[in-house]
Amino acid sequence: MKNISFAIVIIAIALAACKSSNNKNVAQNKINDSSAHTSGQVSPISPVNGILHIYLKMKNAFVNDDDKEAAKEGKEMQKALNDFDTSILKDNERKQFQDMAGDMKENAEHIGANAGNIKHQREHFDMLSKDMYDLVKTSAADEKIYVDYCPMYNDNKGATWLSETKEIKNPYLGKEMDTCGSIKEVLK
Amino acid sequence: MSLIKKIGLIVLVVIIAIQFVRPASNKSRHILPSDISKVYNIPASVQSLLKNACYDCHSNNTNYPWYSNIEPFGWWLASHIRRGKEELNFSEFAGYSAYRQRSKLFSVERSIEDGTMPVPSYSLIHRDSRLTKEQKGLIIGWADKIKDSLNNANK
Repeated sequence: MKNISFAIVIIAIALAACKSSNNKNVAQNKINDSSAHTSGQVSPISPVNGILHIYLKMKNAFVNDDDKEAAKEGKEMQKALNDFDTSILKDNERKQFQDMAGDMKENAEHIGANAGNIKHQREHFDMLSKDMYDLVKTSAADEKIYVDYCPMYNDNKGATWLSETKEIKNPYLGKEMDTCGSIKEVLK
Repeated sequence: MSLIKKIGLIVLVVIIAIQFVRPASNKSRHILPSDISKVYNIPASVQSLLKNACYDCHSNNTNYPWYSNIEPFGWWLASHIRRGKEELNFSEFAGYSAYRQRSKLFSVERSIEDGTMPVPSYSLIHRDSRLTKEQKGLIIGWADKIKDSLNNANK
């Protein structure tokens, strides 16, 4: 009997420890989130920034192998694209934006619906990154955006992603290989 | 009449009744101007692979198996085809934006490579749709070429 209650105490302590370390992570994420948010909201010039910031959060989720967080951002992105006010665009820009947004929405939907299958999510993230590159390239973000390239992903076919940091953090290969890649281009 | 007989009779009546509720068949006589073959070159070898392995669910023309005439199998097939066409329809491919075309070709490559397409349960019955390594290579190489031409056009 003594042994059992001792075991229960140990388990309880272990669980509590796990939980508190999780909370720490959450708190850390929240700090990152809010800083990303404010820099996104200050800028009325580039409305694409809101979408870009969701993308960057999604990218960081993939860096951390966090399929659930990535799915959450996938849904956020779908919503942001749906809510995007295209009336602020010029006529010639609108069609192009709608084409890009249509494809992005579809990829975001797959990412949103496939928590638990991070491999499939990453395939769509690869495609989404291509669209995102085109979008940022055509509309310019308010901050420096790094275009990174990983030659190893997808059986050495390679893939690009956008990043807010100069430091390489690879969203495709998982935590063990997160420094693989190099900066290919800097968008301003 | 015993209870079992009664239940059996009801089941029989239901099965007969549902045979009259037929889904619209996915058949179209003419090739749309938006068909992928109208805008992109598809070698005959690739075309026949696409036809056998993809078009049943990803075009406006399904080659129906005999059991599609029996409900509820017909319904089940119809829902598969509807979802397949939503995701990718080669009969309407040219109507997609360049961005969507690029993504779709990419998905074609990835899903054929890792065997998620053709759907294994489909290949179980449709032996024609099983792709050898070489056949997979043919489709992927073809999709790659179109993707490159798209990228160049975008630049």
